[in-house]
Amino acid sequence: MECPVVRDEMMEALYGEASAETSRRVDEHLTACAACRDEMASLRRVRRDLGAWKLPELTRSRGTAASRHRFRAPLAAAAGFVLALGASFAFSGSELSLDEGHFAFRLGRGVDALRELRAAELRQRREIDELRAAIVPVVAPSASGEAVVLERVQALLRESEERQAQRLATQLRELSIRTEAQRRSDLARVSAGLSYLDGKTGQHIARTTELMGYVLQAAEKR
Amino acid sequence: MGATDEELVDAFQAGDLSAFDDLVRRWERKIQAAIYRVMGTEDEARDLCQETLLKTYRALGSFKREARFSSWLYQIALNLCRDRMRRRKGRTLVSLETLETDALSLRSWSHGPSPLELIEAGALSRAVADAVSGLPDEQREVIVLKEYQDLTFLEIAEILDVPLSTVKTRLYRGLGQLRLRLERQGITRAAPVPAPLP
Repeated sequence: MECPVVRDEMMEALYGEASAETSRRVDEHLTACAACRDEMASLRRVRRDLGAWKLPELTRSRGTAASRHRFRAPLAAAAGFVLALGASFAFSGSELSLDEGHFAFRLGRGVDALRELRAAELRQRREIDELRAAIVPVVAPSASGEAVVLERVQALLRESEERQAQRLATQLRELSIRTEAQRRSDLARVSAGLSYLDGKTGQHIARTTELMGYVLQAAEKR
Repeated sequence: MGATDEELVDAFQAGDLSAFDDLVRRWERKIQAAIYRVMGTEDEARDLCQETLLKTYRALGSFKREARFSSWLYQIALNLCRDRMRRRKGRTLVSLETLETDALSLRSWSHGPSPLELIEAGALSRAVADAVSGLPDEQREVIVLKEYQDLTFLEIAEILDVPLSTVKTRLYRGLGQLRLRLERQGITRAAPVPAPLP
């Protein structure tokens, strides 16, 4: 935009937040300034395109409300355990990477990371203790409670795997459709190019033939 | 009309823990959607939303009302997003979303299909998501808050703790970047038909 002085006012007008006075000023400016008029139209098109981004069906996050907390002490403990485990992986330098077309999962940085791991474990234990303190205990810890937690964690893992599998299938399907569209588009372009070349070659041959005719005629006359 | 956020905060601070449930019901979806658009993955949106609500629950007792509750909630969510982004940048992670991004960039390399083909393939939404995810963090946050959370300039300025003019400038630059990215993918402006060489 060439007129930075009115940029703020144009943004207000673009989003319908301009006062009547500002709207009038912007309208007057747009009438007089072709560059800003084009800019405004272009920004409106971008906003329209942004509306095409649809949200997927987001599943709700769990165990957040206060009432749920009171009944989910074992779950919170399990979450803390999983958090600690995840943090341990992170501190140990584990990573997922793509190497020469293959996914690789690397565990640990080596012996020198042990101290970091111990410190991380202590931190996570403190975190878990804080979490436990924040939750009103309802269910006393017991062997059956642990089994329930274990079962719940396994169920969460299963859910996560199923979700991943579904997403993978959907994305592969989309990729396949897109690849096919791309292939058709490329073929059409190649075909158009070949037709064009065919036409040009035909014209060239015709012109050469015509020239050869003239040369022959000239030779005969001579 | 139910209680306002501030009334629910009052109730919670007075000992009514169920008031927090009402706040969660009111804000969980919106916050999760905002996080999803900032981060780009469903798993992170779910995790960070849960973390946001947990953090809110633990800090709500000492909430001082220096800002609106909603602004404070968005601040917590965005801070968690930024932390996650920083950690993400330090690692070589390859997600399916990234692979798909690569597929999109390949498409633009070879002049790309027309907008009609994009729509037919159901990929327009993904292409816009890809364009937004490529924005600098500051611009992406403002775009998400303005375009998808429908907040006013004033509310965004309060959430981000920046002047109003900064919000408008970031938004303007973000829209400009998006226009370029979408044009490169042949979306915002119709892709020209390639003319044969003479």
